[in-house]
Amino acid sequence: MATATPKASEPGTAFEPLSVAFAQNPYPAYAALRDLGEPQFFPDFGMWLVARFDDVASIARDNSMVRSPEFFMSHEEIEAEKRAQNWHDMPHHSRFVQFSMLDSDGEVHDRLRKQVFREFTPVFIARQRGMIQSFVDKLVDGLIDKGEIDFVEDLAAQVPGHIIGRVLGVPDEDCPQLRVWSENVVKFFDINRTDERKAIAEKATTEFYHYLQKLMTQRRAAPQEDLITRLIAAQDAGHLNEDELVSTCMLILMAGHGSTIDVLGSGMHALLRFPDQMERLRQDPGLIHTAIQEMFRFESPLPFFHRYSTTDCVVGGKAFPRGTKFGLLYGAANRDPAAFGDDAGSFDVGRNPNRHLAFGGGAHFCLGNHLARLDMEVIFTTLIKRLKSISLAEVEPQYKPGLSVRGPKALRLTLTPA
Amino acid sequence: MYRVTFVDADGQATELTANEGQSVMSVAVANGIDQILAECGGSCACGTCHCYVDESWTEKLPAADDSEQGMIECLMNPTDRSRLTCQLKMSAALDGLVVHLPREQY
Repeated sequence: MATATPKASEPGTAFEPLSVAFAQNPYPAYAALRDLGEPQFFPDFGMWLVARFDDVASIARDNSMVRSPEFFMSHEEIEAEKRAQNWHDMPHHSRFVQFSMLDSDGEVHDRLRKQVFREFTPVFIARQRGMIQSFVDKLVDGLIDKGEIDFVEDLAAQVPGHIIGRVLGVPDEDCPQLRVWSENVVKFFDINRTDERKAIAEKATTEFYHYLQKLMTQRRAAPQEDLITRLIAAQDAGHLNEDELVSTCMLILMAGHGSTIDVLGSGMHALLRFPDQMERLRQDPGLIHTAIQEMFRFESPLPFFHRYSTTDCVVGGKAFPRGTKFGLLYGAANRDPAAFGDDAGSFDVGRNPNRHLAFGGGAHFCLGNHLARLDMEVIFTTLIKRLKSISLAEVEPQYKPGLSVRGPKALRLTLTPA
Repeated sequence: MYRVTFVDADGQATELTANEGQSVMSVAVANGIDQILAECGGSCACGTCHCYVDESWTEKLPAADDSEQGMIECLMNPTDRSRLTCQLKMSAALDGLVVHLPREQY
């Protein structure tokens, strides 16, 4: 694989995001990038990687740094770039996934975000607590006497998609299928965009679209107390069109699946790797909020997002022209000792303040952060209360490869009920 | 330089200085006022820099715009003195501002 960055002088510090070494521990490579100071060019993605906390934070929070290249590229240039990234000839993916609130800016982004943001604010999310608790209690009832479980598949993967499905208005029995579609679409985001993955992503998007069309028809005939019904009302009021509605639903469902599953897995793994911190949380369950905040910092589940500059700019002391594409390495920024001190590499459930960038920053700040936190709070609090001990039943859990996600593929645990 | 005072939920007051145009949020973050989380960094997108403006100041501040007002309505425990500190920019008119902080942002 072609990598210009950085030259590996120390083992494990080469920036090779598809390697097993990077999947298992990307932090030495991130540290090497931070140490280089100025952004480094990464040819695989045609972008400049930014690793230091201050640089990543200032780009993420800067409204002149945008997600969509349409502010400075012609339609032809955008199509050419899409072809270069094997991001072309995907009619439904292009219509509903490549276009979204996440990949729009300015007025379009603000208008779309406004249609859904209330549903994800603390007051609205807090209303889901009872529903989440009873769902998690039932799952734990079925697992507690099993002795050994895969925490990722048996528990983590069952919760976020089900909860976000309920918020949107998807019937429970359809939630497992939504997870499959979401994963097939998201897998294509990483650097290894093979034609095979492309076909799978386009097929998943198409099926997902047809499913949502059917659900929207049902809600039009019989409105319910759910987000999809409210979005249909917003469409009728002229606030968004049908493609935007479908795209927003897909974005919410996809964003509500994988990343929370990943950070549940890596958060549990962190508690097991730092048993003193697990014990501290057991002794003082009031630490759950700072513990969750720390899980997001320590193993940021979406460690990488891009921005384009719409003006000439200086990043990390180096000048860049308008139209430069930057890769923001949240996973690297969140371990930067310059922002989090010499113990940035340690997992501290009481860390406060903890102003990490795992939810991004600026106008695109993660809409679902409170829902993700509530899912996690209920799961960890319930497990700690109902289990006398949780221990790792495998030597070295394997992490997912690639740059765009971070989380264990599986996490085998031994459970001892209280 | 202007003055702005943060009063925490236990009544502990901290007076800080601010520059023209600086947001009250950035004054807090730069000076270790940890109750202001400001997770989105000042884009009115997260609602974690909530404060209650001191009664003596409510009439003197410019009104919240639609996006700030929309966010405030969805916060934990909002009152008619609630503001987002990222949207309050220091100026001569706000010199001496006093804001009270919630115990927790969410």
